[in-house]
Amino acid sequence: MEVVHIENLTKVYGEGHTAVTALRDANLTVRRGELTALLGPSGSGKTTLLTSIAGIIEPTHGRVCIAGTCFYDNGWRVRDLRKFRREHLGFIFQSHNLVPFLTARENVLVALQINGVTGAKAVRIAQELLDYLGVGERQSHLPEKLSGGEQQRVAIARALANSPPVILADEPTAALDTERGQSVMALFRQIAREKGSAVICVTHDHRMIEGFDHIYHVKDGRVSDGQQTTER
Amino acid sequence: MNLAVRDLRQHWGRFALSCLGVGLLLSLVLSFAGIYNGFIADALALIDSSGADLWVAQKDTRGPFAELSRLPDDVRYRIAVVPGVREASPYIFYTVQRPWQGRLLRFVVVGYDLGTGMGGPAQVVAGRGIGQAHYEMVADQKLGLRVGDVVHLGLHDYTVVGLTRGMVGSGGDPVAFFSYQDAEEIQFVKDNWAIRNARQRALAAYTQALPTQPMLVPGLVQRFADNPELHNVNAILVRLAPDADPAAVVAAINRWEYFTASTTAEQSALMLQGSVALARRQTGLFRVLLTIVTTVIVAQIIYTMTLEKLKPIALLKLIGAPNRLVTGLVLQQSLALGLIGYVIALVVGNLTYDKWPRRVLVGLPDQLLLLGIVIAICLVASAMGLRKALRVEAGAALVG
Repeated sequence: MEVVHIENLTKVYGEGHTAVTALRDANLTVRRGELTALLGPSGSGKTTLLTSIAGIIEPTHGRVCIAGTCFYDNGWRVRDLRKFRREHLGFIFQSHNLVPFLTARENVLVALQINGVTGAKAVRIAQELLDYLGVGERQSHLPEKLSGGEQQRVAIARALANSPPVILADEPTAALDTERGQSVMALFRQIAREKGSAVICVTHDHRMIEGFDHIYHVKDGRVSDGQQTTER
Repeated sequence: MNLAVRDLRQHWGRFALSCLGVGLLLSLVLSFAGIYNGFIADALALIDSSGADLWVAQKDTRGPFAELSRLPDDVRYRIAVVPGVREASPYIFYTVQRPWQGRLLRFVVVGYDLGTGMGGPAQVVAGRGIGQAHYEMVADQKLGLRVGDVVHLGLHDYTVVGLTRGMVGSGGDPVAFFSYQDAEEIQFVKDNWAIRNARQRALAAYTQALPTQPMLVPGLVQRFADNPELHNVNAILVRLAPDADPAAVVAAINRWEYFTASTTAEQSALMLQGSVALARRQTGLFRVLLTIVTTVIVAQIIYTMTLEKLKPIALLKLIGAPNRLVTGLVLQQSLALGLIGYVIALVVGNLTYDKWPRRVLVGLPDQLLLLGIVIAICLVASAMGLRKALRVEAGAALVG
């Protein structure tokens, strides 16, 4: 079942002779439970593609559909992108991006609260996710007291809090050593398999490409056809 | 989960200091309201406690407080027989500054008639009221005297027999009450040194003038006479008969007695339009300036706090936080700063008002007004921070 469908997506920054085309007619399809990598050097356009999927930047033209809903379609976009994001997307970044004044548990709770889940139910979900990711013991610590790997696990727990159909990860292993990076990738695989979320991961870390279901190469704003790496 | 509280939890020390600073500023704003109220209370203290319905002063003057008024004390008998007047009583009011036990006592002398009691102390908080026509006084606590102390004034010693609280003149000087006869003596009777000095000068002038200019001698004698006008008072206080029309009595006194009469309400208005009006404008301007300064400082604190949170705010937006969550975060912190500052201002004020040199009177209306101002300040001050917070893009969370 397709959860991400991108069609002829183009993004041009600037106008006239200063215009820079960051993305050219990109096409991408991701299915439920798949682990997809966007691979490419710096400046190739992979982050532009990811942020377009996230609705953070507005494409110049093309179409972006998540879980059957097109939130951008050649100049038209849904009115409330933030609502769309909180219902459909989870985010994980290179720099962990936890709210610094919230504890690990509160970082997960805030994502639930934003989506209207509060009280004992929210606490139970947060506790289960943190336990699932192996940081349940560290739930009352502020991000500054957590290691890089622990912070990344809390960020993953937050991304999973609302059971989104799609998780977008931008260089999630770049700040981690190989062992911790592989541990995070193993988690992504586990999440894709057990939770059914599609994980789209921007990376130029070749150490981590094993285990992706699809790898898309991004170069000069062009996205190559998906390369299936595993038998499904 | 309250994000504003969670954020403040991490920076509570700095936030507490900010609250303290804002609280001290607000306490100044509140104090100036109290100082203004104190001006009014001080200005009206003697008028309000006098028990008089009308004030009769020298013709064409607005005495005894607004300007100098002088009239013979026997005028009381003429005023007392004006239709509608129940009783009339002499009143003396002037400021003196005399040395006493190594320090200077500055106070307002109020002389009143012990018989009617009009113009005398409304309430004695220690000791007793004046019980005899001479050589006793009742002083305000602010003067620093105790019951039993003896103060030498003019020719005589006066014993403090009672104390009042909160009785001050319009300038804030404490009041000392005397019988009007004693007040006249203190004001007009020269002490022995002054009398001897005057006699020496008269003798010298007389000796010098007699051989060559005998026509000058009667004038010199008159000039150096010891106490030419002893029996003068500053006003006559009038208590009206129960059914008397104040306007009619005022008109009768002004027309037939060649004095200027005014009601107690008019005396109060005269006081407030005079020196107090200027003080009100002064303190009012200062309050406005302090309020503006407080607004700017709160705005700067909130703006700085918001700037420091821009990345978390962008992150919250990225994970779908609605604007009301971001607005709530900024506004709640701003209101917390203002309201905690407000409570500090109330506490600081209540602990310090007694120690101010002049009376500071802060009432519930002033406190409620300040609360309204604080809330308005917080809302205005949040505007800049809110603008910044609402304009930050979710994508800013991705910038390393």
